[in-house]
Amino acid sequence: MNIRQFVSESYPLDTRGNAWRDILATLGLRSDSPEQDFDHFAAAVIRGQADGVLLGSLTATAQSLSPLARRGRMPLVMMPLDEAVEVAAEAGRFVIEPGEAVILPADKTWDAFLRQNTNFAVFSLSETVLHGQRFGLSPLASPFHVAATGLGKVFLQSLRAAASELDGLSDLEWQSVEQVIADLYLTVIVSLSSAAADAGVNASQAALFSRLTMAIERRVAEPDLSAGRIARQEGISERYLQKLFEQNGESFTHYLRERRLQHARMALVAPDELRIPISEVAYSCGFTDAANFNRLFKERFGLPPGAFRTNHLKSLMEMANAEQRGWPVKALTDRKVKKRSAVGGVQVGDTELAGTPDTDGTHHVLPANSKTVHWGYFSRSLRPVLEISSGDTIEVETLTQHSSDDPELFIKGDTAAEDVFFWNAEKKNVDRRGAGPIDASVYGRGAGEGFGVHVCTGPIYVNGAEPGDVLEVRIDDMVPRPSGNPDYKGRHFGSSVAAWWGYQYGELLQEPKPRENVFIYEIFPDGDGGGFARAHYAYRWTPQEDPFGVAHKTYDYPGVPVDPATIEKLSPVLSGIQIPLRPHFGVIAVAPREDGPVDSVPPAYFGGNIDNWRLGKGASVYLPVSVPGALLSIGDPHASQGDGEVAGTAIECSMTGRLTVILHKKGGRFSDLTYPLIETPEEWVLTGFSHPNYLAEFGVKGQGEVYAKSSLDLAMKDAFRKTRRFLMGTYGLGEDEAIMLMSAGVDFGVTQVVDGNWGVHAIIPKSIFLTEVEDQDLIVRA
Amino acid sequence: MTHHTLPATADTVHWGYFSKSLKPQLTVKSGDRVTIETITHHANDDHARMIAGDAAAEEIFLWTAEEKTIKRRGAGPQEGPYEHGSGEGLGVHLLTGPVEVEGAEPGDVLEVRIIDAYPRPSANPEYKGRYFGSNPSANWGFQYNDYLEEPKPREVVTIYELDMSAPATVSALYSYLWTPQTDPDGIVHPTIDYPGVRVDHDTITKKEGILSGVKIPARLHFGTMGVAPAEADLVSTIPPSYTGGNMDDWRITKGARMFYPVAVPGALFSVGDAHASQGDSELSGTAIEISLTGEFEFVLHKKADLPGTVMEGLDHPLLENDEIWSVYGFSVTNYLAELGPDHQYEILKSSSLDNAMRDAFRKLRRFLMTVHGLSEDEAISLMSVAADFGITQVVDANWGVHGSIRKSVFTCP
Repeated sequence: MNIRQFVSESYPLDTRGNAWRDILATLGLRSDSPEQDFDHFAAAVIRGQADGVLLGSLTATAQSLSPLARRGRMPLVMMPLDEAVEVAAEAGRFVIEPGEAVILPADKTWDAFLRQNTNFAVFSLSETVLHGQRFGLSPLASPFHVAATGLGKVFLQSLRAAASELDGLSDLEWQSVEQVIADLYLTVIVSLSSAAADAGVNASQAALFSRLTMAIERRVAEPDLSAGRIARQEGISERYLQKLFEQNGESFTHYLRERRLQHARMALVAPDELRIPISEVAYSCGFTDAANFNRLFKERFGLPPGAFRTNHLKSLMEMANAEQRGWPVKALTDRKVKKRSAVGGVQVGDTELAGTPDTDGTHHVLPANSKTVHWGYFSRSLRPVLEISSGDTIEVETLTQHSSDDPELFIKGDTAAEDVFFWNAEKKNVDRRGAGPIDASVYGRGAGEGFGVHVCTGPIYVNGAEPGDVLEVRIDDMVPRPSGNPDYKGRHFGSSVAAWWGYQYGELLQEPKPRENVFIYEIFPDGDGGGFARAHYAYRWTPQEDPFGVAHKTYDYPGVPVDPATIEKLSPVLSGIQIPLRPHFGVIAVAPREDGPVDSVPPAYFGGNIDNWRLGKGASVYLPVSVPGALLSIGDPHASQGDGEVAGTAIECSMTGRLTVILHKKGGRFSDLTYPLIETPEEWVLTGFSHPNYLAEFGVKGQGEVYAKSSLDLAMKDAFRKTRRFLMGTYGLGEDEAIMLMSAGVDFGVTQVVDGNWGVHAIIPKSIFLTEVEDQDLIVRA
Repeated sequence: MTHHTLPATADTVHWGYFSKSLKPQLTVKSGDRVTIETITHHANDDHARMIAGDAAAEEIFLWTAEEKTIKRRGAGPQEGPYEHGSGEGLGVHLLTGPVEVEGAEPGDVLEVRIIDAYPRPSANPEYKGRYFGSNPSANWGFQYNDYLEEPKPREVVTIYELDMSAPATVSALYSYLWTPQTDPDGIVHPTIDYPGVRVDHDTITKKEGILSGVKIPARLHFGTMGVAPAEADLVSTIPPSYTGGNMDDWRITKGARMFYPVAVPGALFSVGDAHASQGDSELSGTAIEISLTGEFEFVLHKKADLPGTVMEGLDHPLLENDEIWSVYGFSVTNYLAELGPDHQYEILKSSSLDNAMRDAFRKLRRFLMTVHGLSEDEAISLMSVAADFGITQVVDANWGVHGSIRKSVFTCP
């Protein structure tokens, strides 16, 4: 398949800029930004051929793009997908909103500004596909704004759909798709040249009109906004403004009212704003009279605003049992993310510390309780529960979120677990579980919606840690936590759920289908990090009603206490089978750089749900720091897991770890590390993901998308690129040497296929290198 | 038990294809042992080290304007005009065999035990007693369209030496960029597109001192081993399938027992494509390709005797060694049956790890349910907590993921 995939993080820092310029050049674009800093991120998937149709789906941080003058190319189309893009040309500046597009002549001067991390599609067509016929095309004098109406809408929607499925289409499917889009594009171009000739609407008028509409969008909340005010702001006469609107087919007053109503409609169903009273929504959109607003809204949308919102909520509830992990993509497209959105629980700024942190020693003890854990999400806004310095050791307790699978074994008599899992009709000690809305307005599962499930202890503030540094977390020891129930004194248990997010769920052989099963294991540690597990009993998941009265037909929310009266215990199961232990932490994370709560399930550059059993006693993980203090969290302890974690979980078992935390300042040993790197006494283990930096790639708003787009093929590609970079950067090998070595001496394995962002790891045995790598300094050959 | 020897000669090898119509080179009974020589199809990457002075290799690789000992190389057309040469290189591995197993019938399972494997020394007096192999980063490698440095794309051949003193390791000697090579029939090979073309060392530039200080632990194994498929007469050796073939798992080594479903009478076992070492994924397209000699024991399991053994219900290759059982998932489980008459070409477009993972998951689930008597729910829980899935290869068209379960898990077998 003629697909080119690009992620800047695959490249050593000093070659990233060039690699990105190469990719842009394929599409006839040039970046005018200076050398990227380390935070810079870019990704692209480009499909097609230079002498035909090329379509790219790109993500890039703030920069400006301009044309690379080339002959033989038709004007290219640029379509922002999530954030607006501003275009400046001789004829003026205008803003292209997501879902619209701009046609940009390759032979004229213009700049397209990305103001922040932006997803956009680029479509480019070679003149050769016209076969010499030019359909009476006249050359485009300046950038043209394609609005989402009529033919333009059909074209835009096709483009958008194709861009989102670039790597999912077979060659044959792609051929049909590129044909359709090329045809639509030509039709748009032709109608454009003839319309401009007929109606006398010139490009500068179009640009001015676009600017007027932008001004209206910005000021829609002003109740006394008028044509006069807008005209004055833009320096034209009111009459000319009215004329422009008439040319566009409607009066200014009508247009403004329509925009106010559309804003109100969006606000009514925005997940973050569901609790805002309707009258306030009306005011925020420039309506002064609630009754008038109600009437206009009903005329326009068929329902009064209150009923409209209720209807919307009802339809969401109906979707509630749709099996979807994480944020549903659909709900997110409408969602407005606010700066520093509330996470629930205690919130402080980035660096402010709560109370008096424990700083007077080098060994710290961090117990797990309802004040020291956060459940199902990471956030840079979380208040640290402990402050430490580089070189300190910590004894940290972690609790498995699966304790509620058998409260009798895991919770009863264990003060910490009783505190964290406490939940009755009136009170729930840890309310937020997941990165979803606190009012459960998407599915109604519970606060946080279970978009993220892991009980994490932390965050821990590391003195002096800054973005660009690397935090090393070494696991000196870990031991399973004994049952607190006197009836099971001194015994250890774990739980493994074959859940709806497991690899098997859609293709079970035996009835009833589908189903979820919980296997409770007893753990027999040998006191030296080893030992084995045996199945204790199993049961099939039955609908469980949580103490707040919400029914959970599937395992869709963490920590719902399973009522023993509703299940049927199956025993013996897996008789004659004992599983060697591989104790490890599934989750070790520093806070992501993005704002807002981030789902704990998909692993990414900041670590998180790595689920690699090699991250146990004696191993270290290196994590790139994104926020001041790093904000380290640990959780999801596992007694054992296989490569793949196919059923969706490991043997989940509460554990206590002894960790050493070492801060490596920027510029040192791992200056361009952009992913979690594991080191064991014998091996380097590199972690590849389907989408290595999915938060940047899809946007925080698109968190849920990673669940739909995971693939081992992508994860393998990422693991390959990271390994190449590691061997070249850290061991100073040439590219060819790195590739030979990977073929002959590096083992690639499947980490997991159940965490949204699937993983492939590469294992490099250290013994390959004759020269021992010293603890602090890696050898770099000139 | 009888012990046989099957040397690699111009008569006992076939190049680039499996075929149910090939004449057996040896007939054995169940329980017999055979010492089989194999010669790597990459020997001509460095003729002086891997062919010169070795009479068998010299004859097999002989190719002048007048004479070409082994014309067909691959399952492609045998009549010109050729794009690459006879057989078109549609299949590249030089295999020794086939070995016919008396009484083997479709539905039976052939067990092949690898008793030993050792390297074939250079016969050139200049390198006497030393062992050499070759690792091309080739056009079918995972890196080919994803290079960072110029020139892009490129093929690079690295010649390695194997040191058998314990623990055995492999080190790089030198490498060179592939340059267009003209074969004795006048066809130019701009890339590595046809096996056995002698590289003219006057056309290449050797780069010394590469991978200095790097010693790769040896993993002597046979990349291609299997029985003849029933679906077609000529089958490329590149994509692995239900009868084995180019599995490229380094665990297929001394101490391993491979089980293959027999597809044609006599089973027709062939072996070759030996490797000095390889990582899981075989990323660059090849392993360290070397000539090895193996000692094999053949055990035929009749269809009626399979129930109650690890072979019950087996319709794909299975590996057993002292520690694990492994099953092999492919992008297309049985591409010969599933992809229609153009399967040799269709498979090239069907490579996918996602499909291979799916296949490995299903095969391991079946194995645990049929052979170990687990319920589906038990099998799935056990796989999640104790089975390891790894990437076998991403370069043999039909990509592979293996699923392994440790035998120690079953305390009461």
